[in-house]
Amino acid sequence: MSIRVEGLSKKFAGHVAVERASIEVGTGKLVALLGPSGSGKTTLLRLIAGLEFPDAGRVFFHGEEVTEKSAYERRAGFVFQHYALFQHLSVFDNVAFGLEVRPCATRPPKAEIRERVHCLLKLVQLEAFAKRFPSQLSGGQRQRVALARALAIEPRVLLLDEPFGALDAKVRKELRAWIRRFHDETHNTSLFVTHDQEEAFEVADEVVILNHGHIQQIGAPGLIQREPANAFVQDFLGLDFQI
Amino acid sequence: MAGAIQDLTTARHATPPRRATEEGPLIRWTLIVLSVGFFAAFLLLPLVAVFAEGFRRGAGLYFKTFADPVTLDAIKLTLVTAAIAVPSNTIFGVAAAWAITRFEFRGKQFFSTLIELPLWVSPVIGGLVYVLLFGSQGVLGPWLQAHHWKIIYATPGIVIATVFVTFPFVARGLIPLMEAQGVAEEEAALTLGARGWQVFLRVTLPKIKWGLLYGVILANARAMGEFGAVSVVSGHIRGLTNTVPLQIEILYNEYSFAAAFALASLLSLLALVTLGVKTYVEWRARQQLEQSQR
Repeated sequence: MSIRVEGLSKKFAGHVAVERASIEVGTGKLVALLGPSGSGKTTLLRLIAGLEFPDAGRVFFHGEEVTEKSAYERRAGFVFQHYALFQHLSVFDNVAFGLEVRPCATRPPKAEIRERVHCLLKLVQLEAFAKRFPSQLSGGQRQRVALARALAIEPRVLLLDEPFGALDAKVRKELRAWIRRFHDETHNTSLFVTHDQEEAFEVADEVVILNHGHIQQIGAPGLIQREPANAFVQDFLGLDFQI
Repeated sequence: MAGAIQDLTTARHATPPRRATEEGPLIRWTLIVLSVGFFAAFLLLPLVAVFAEGFRRGAGLYFKTFADPVTLDAIKLTLVTAAIAVPSNTIFGVAAAWAITRFEFRGKQFFSTLIELPLWVSPVIGGLVYVLLFGSQGVLGPWLQAHHWKIIYATPGIVIATVFVTFPFVARGLIPLMEAQGVAEEEAALTLGARGWQVFLRVTLPKIKWGLLYGVILANARAMGEFGAVSVVSGHIRGLTNTVPLQIEILYNEYSFAAAFALASLLSLLALVTLGVKTYVEWRARQQLEQSQR
């Protein structure tokens, strides 16, 4: 399982969001898309998920081209910045959603859905919250429901948009360590967006640095810190460290 | 000493806390008396009068009104009209709200402004336009006559005029709601493998449920109560093209006051029930919106 992106470009009303971006995420790797706000990282993630369609370039999952496929055909698990949980459904039904909407032929029987949802809720440590509604949960709990919901469809790749963005500093730190451990256990090919370099360098196997829609550097956290590719990367990292 | 302080604080709490925007007692009471008095004189009094007048000659005559076959036909026609106009405008309203809040297209602003046209224009014009279109002297008149289709002075015309006046209600209620709710949940459903119609049925519809119901109730009240537009296209044929509001006018003009007011009380009752249901639905819709923004 892997994500490959070749020369992806996207403009919004004449404004360049992503320009000829090419990246590769190896099977089972956890990669961070890092950049200042407005650098095009969320757009790139949405292009990969099929929530936006590129003006040029191609997207491959596991060697299969998915560029023209719609979001529901791609089977990419997506965790939204503000979780986008279904407010009218319980935690259980949120997680079960992806299984319930499958066509009859591939939909698991009720009992199996129940079992799989409980298994996932256990995995994200929310077993006791199955009957609650999203509005009754804390930010960190919602985040984990969103993760369980995305994993329920057994996604080919996992995409996370600012997964810790809306949480307070303490929960953020805890969840960061947790998600790294979680990834080591589940080995989903994952790509996550962040504007926080500490987060990117601490959690990811590899970091992709973006600015103004252009990829500036791709590499392991240690490598980027030792050998920044250009002035922007140096500046972006350096400025942050001074603060 | 301590007791005195406590007395002072309880005394202060006995009257509601004074706010900076609050005026002196004279202005305050003038405004309250003026608005409540106005309400009583222009809204409450007529409502009471309608029921009082309807029952003046006794409950027997009141209920006899509803046994009259012509009146029953009017009630039936009103129900049929609402049963066609309200669902049509519900479908149109959802489609329009969807298009306006979810897609970008040329003339979108123009379209969303124009949806409200029936609220601004006099209903008489709404009726006249259709007479000009479908009437025997109208643009499509000869063609309709050749095919033996009757629209004006018949049920189809009444339905069309009612659709015109109730056109904006559902869409107008949904557009701000759907704009505020955004598309994040729909996108989430898509990434989870839901197809378009599944997204609509399982995510969008539950989200807009109360807002939709609100629009439907208002549209229904207007559909059943419409007078002007329907009056123009109806032709006032007794037992055939008279709706409840038109029948009330006829009864009144014939000096059947008790019957007119009895039938009017039926419409007033509808208004009161609508108001009650509307208040509840409005409250639920607001709750739903707050929940989605939390």
